[in-house]
Amino acid sequence: MTKGSISAVRRLLAVTVAFTAAAALAACGSDASSDSAGDPTLVLYNAQHEEVGQAWADGFTATTGIKVEVRNGSDFELANQIVAEGAASPADVFITENSPAMSLVSSKDLFSPVDAATKGQVPAQYASSKGDWVGVAARATVFVYNTDQVTEAQLPTSILDLAKPEWKGRFGISPSGADFQAIVSAVYALKGDAEGAAWLQGVKDNAKIYRGNSTIMKAANSGEVPGGVIYHYYWYGDQADGGANSAKTKLAFLGNQDPGAFVSVSGGGVLKSSRHQAEAQQLLAYMTGAEGQKMLADSKALEYTVGNGVAANPALKPLAELGAPTVDLNTLNGPKIVEEMQRVGLL
Amino acid sequence: MSDRLRVSGLSKAFGAVPVLTGIDLEVPAGGLTALLGRSGSGKTTLLRIIAGFGRADAGEVRVGDRDVTGMPSERRRIGYVTQDGNLFPHLTVAGNVTFGLPWRARRRRHRVEELLELVGLDPSYAGRLPHSLSGGEQQRVALARALAPEPDILLLDEPFSALDAELRSSTRRAVAATLRATRTTALLVTHDQSEAMSLADRVAVLRDGVVRQEGTARDVYLHPVDLDVAGFVGEIVDLPATFAGATAATPLGPVALREHAVGSGLAHVRPEQIEPAEDGTEAEVTDVELHGGFGVVRAKCGPVQVTARWPTHLLPQPGSVVRVRVRGAAVLASGEV
Amino acid sequence: MTERGVAGAGLRLPPLRAAVALAVAGLSVIPLWYVGSGLATAGGGFVDLVWRPRVGELLVNTVSLVVAVTAACLVIGVGAAWLVERTDLPLRPLWTVLNAAPLAIPAFVNSFGWSSLSPRFAGFGAAFLVTTLSYYPLVYLPAAAALRDTDPAFDEAARSLGCGPWRAFARITLPRLRPAALGGGLLVGLHLLAEFGAIQSLRFDTFTTAIYDQYQAYFGGTGATALASVLVLLCLVLLVAELRLAGRARLARVGSGSRRRPVPHRLGRGRLLAAAALLLLAVAALGVPLGRIGYWLVVSTSTAFPAAELARATASTVVLGLVGAAATTAAALPVAWLVVRRPGWASRLVERGTYIGHALPGIVVALALITVGIRYVPALYQSTTMLVVAYVTLFLPLALVGLRSALAQSPPELDEVGRTLGVGPGGILLRVTVPLVARGAGAGAALVFLAVVTELTSTLLLAPTGTRTLATQFWSESTAIHYGAAAPYALLMILVSAPMAYLLTREARA
Repeated sequence: MTKGSISAVRRLLAVTVAFTAAAALAACGSDASSDSAGDPTLVLYNAQHEEVGQAWADGFTATTGIKVEVRNGSDFELANQIVAEGAASPADVFITENSPAMSLVSSKDLFSPVDAATKGQVPAQYASSKGDWVGVAARATVFVYNTDQVTEAQLPTSILDLAKPEWKGRFGISPSGADFQAIVSAVYALKGDAEGAAWLQGVKDNAKIYRGNSTIMKAANSGEVPGGVIYHYYWYGDQADGGANSAKTKLAFLGNQDPGAFVSVSGGGVLKSSRHQAEAQQLLAYMTGAEGQKMLADSKALEYTVGNGVAANPALKPLAELGAPTVDLNTLNGPKIVEEMQRVGLL
Repeated sequence: MSDRLRVSGLSKAFGAVPVLTGIDLEVPAGGLTALLGRSGSGKTTLLRIIAGFGRADAGEVRVGDRDVTGMPSERRRIGYVTQDGNLFPHLTVAGNVTFGLPWRARRRRHRVEELLELVGLDPSYAGRLPHSLSGGEQQRVALARALAPEPDILLLDEPFSALDAELRSSTRRAVAATLRATRTTALLVTHDQSEAMSLADRVAVLRDGVVRQEGTARDVYLHPVDLDVAGFVGEIVDLPATFAGATAATPLGPVALREHAVGSGLAHVRPEQIEPAEDGTEAEVTDVELHGGFGVVRAKCGPVQVTARWPTHLLPQPGSVVRVRVRGAAVLASGEV
Repeated sequence: MTERGVAGAGLRLPPLRAAVALAVAGLSVIPLWYVGSGLATAGGGFVDLVWRPRVGELLVNTVSLVVAVTAACLVIGVGAAWLVERTDLPLRPLWTVLNAAPLAIPAFVNSFGWSSLSPRFAGFGAAFLVTTLSYYPLVYLPAAAALRDTDPAFDEAARSLGCGPWRAFARITLPRLRPAALGGGLLVGLHLLAEFGAIQSLRFDTFTTAIYDQYQAYFGGTGATALASVLVLLCLVLLVAELRLAGRARLARVGSGSRRRPVPHRLGRGRLLAAAALLLLAVAALGVPLGRIGYWLVVSTSTAFPAAELARATASTVVLGLVGAAATTAAALPVAWLVVRRPGWASRLVERGTYIGHALPGIVVALALITVGIRYVPALYQSTTMLVVAYVTLFLPLALVGLRSALAQSPPELDEVGRTLGVGPGGILLRVTVPLVARGAGAGAALVFLAVVTELTSTLLLAPTGTRTLATQFWSESTAIHYGAAAPYALLMILVSAPMAYLLTREARA
């Protein structure tokens, strides 16, 4: 290396260092906005339906005067984001559509315990047994079917039936969805690992694979597939929207504590890293309280309410009549289920 | 006012391959020196080092009293005209010509007109874009652009090679006239010996990274230091010779020698030295090639093949027998190999 | 750096440019580092996660889609460019615009349009059709530009030597088009590796859709990293393949000086056939998605025009698009400069490195930036600055392609001549380089703008809280199957993108 090129490398390094330093300085300089103790603004990571999260935030601000910024995303995006953010997360409160996203964050020990009063507003089966999050809404697993292709007599009586030969190629699932993984969890929990594994292999062989509940429902509506496993509110929502994608279908509720009658809980929790613990707990209390749950019932999301004493939208089949199985929400969709689904090739 | 250019002890190697070895070269103030060399002789490398685009491993470059060796090119005050002109395609002729002027000076119209006139272009060209100009016009604009900031030295890298024959000679004349008018010190790189001879005051012959000979064009032509230089700057005729001190006996008669020699070998003369003469040696014409005002005659004198250059009205018929002799001294003599 | 590389090349490496190029390349290393550290966490389990039949299926799916779509885009793109530029096809200006217009329609909107025609629209064929229709302009535009730039004299020489139009095309035109077309093909391939939105509803799994599935399984993060590592390998294969195929010709200058408009080939009776084929292409690529958007607007009961909401989303989309395009182009300039002016393995490595971010799914790049950003520049976290940095990481190759060829067309001798006129490197950059590459930079910036408008995951995760763009709004409405509510956003995305797509046709025409 010649003298000249050494000096070129030196200058290069000097400039790189200067560049980095300038960027860091600029970064520090802009650090003013984040926090002034007097007037906190909460950040809500909302994986729930946007209109639901926004309605809760607006209602909370109207009641308490505390501002709420809403960040929207899907369960898996925001849960993975919170995990990546760790202790530095700007989020104060996180609400989801399904409980496994709560379990992921909970497994990294990132939630604060929920205030006792808030826990009292929601039945224990809709809350984490660890006490670090509570349910804010719920959705039911249903079997949607095309009425031209499936008669009521032919309907499965249990989700376990779907592994049987007569259903080969006749139903759709969305294995990447939290709901289907929850069903798998439920089957393993209720029937044991051996029977669970045999059933999972049968489903893998029989099912047509879709991505997303609405795609399954549309496929069933068009007769491309006779039936499929979805959440209830897609069907009710489309019926309310004119029924273009569901007119030729009906829902079957499996009931009888069948794993397929699973009710998935949408959770809410306060982040341990939040610098506004009291206000964040207030927001969670608001969402699960009478006013918040009433808003949910009146929204077009068509999800079930979980708060004590607030009835869901009257169009829905009442939650109490669904015959849902009892499942420990903390164990749902754990690493074991993911490994099992990876093993049979559904993931 | 232009300055003297002096290059001393300049060496450059690419990896293990030496390209320039201890180059010493001087262009006097206001003079035009041609650097003549075959492709691969290192002449472009030398020019780029002088311009500041390449760095030498050793040696220095001076402009007048200034040592510019380590200086970035933009501070050297050395202008540069390339083979293709390399006009900025997004600028007009005026924009190109004034590119190197300070911001205020760029606006003065008459400066552009002056410069265009200097290179023999009509001032109406100022607003045109480069792609609408012919090659010769582009080169003239490139010259005007290089001269505009009044550089101490001007480097010309094969500036005429991309032009066709007719444009080449007219552009050459225009460039030479401009350089003389502005008394700019210039170094012209070329592989074309006739271009070097016709334009330059002095010629430096570069071979294998070494300056073999440097002198006036006439001197290099008439007194080449070795056979290779002799052959490069012009055609030569090899005559078998027996040396006897100041003269050599050849098939075309006695030929004077510049240096005493004995033994046998070859005497080298220029084709124009072989003239028709009543009392000359007989030679049989094998071929005649007309070049307008003069012609090239190839003839056999016994086993010896000679080439001569005669005025057209003296040209013989192929197959005829002519008498010839050598006028003047041999440019070079070499021993039998 | 070796003597030959730096000192031997003559000029010193301008430190600022080199430093910025290195910083930009450093950005693209972040996702790679993220995948690598995920693998390190997985340890031995990594082998089990990669070495399973499911990965084999994904590999077959991904590779066959990339190969088939890239090939189809090359055939359609080059074919259409030749028809438009070199034949007596009627209505030339119309076809020029129509062949660039699909770029204004986000691939996922196109996919929604087609799949809403029939639920049977699924699987390999569907994914192939949708992505080919969405991406072929990426080949068409550079191919058309190269055809305009290539001196017709070569073609004419071939024909005077007895080659018919078809043989002249195959033996002269096609080889000269190779660098431009392959550059476009590479972009198509990289887009496909990372494509999620357009394929996710078509029941066809690629590595990228599977990576999203793994993340959705919450505890599948390691599985996702394992799949992403295979995706990185595929990306490397593409990059090397393009280098090999394009060879040394890729930076070659095409004709200089004044150009003639070539005498068009006479298609004879084929004229109508060719026009019909292009019309069919336009209907498939433009008519179907636009028609479906219109249908949703009219039929769906959820159709609504929340003016304030639409205006806000449009404004933030346009602002992010413009800022992202400007920043990405600025970041690409030193990299392009390094590649063109200081060729060598080091600069090639820097350039190729920037492609990796483009081939990885948005979720991987976003999570990588979250992990790094919150740790090292917490103040910038979820700021517009950070989002723009993410755009630079994701879309640099789009800006690079145009800049690189523009820079290659502006010979370095111009810089040198400028400096002998007493102008320093900074002045040369401003007065020579920037004006000369402006066109190429503009084309690159337009492509980046289009990409930012349709970007989803990084915007969701990294934008300042409360930011809504047309893409995020369209996505949230359409996944909730409120097609009517989604349609205005799709329409606005197309309207916002249209001027940029038009700009690209202008670039191709220049």
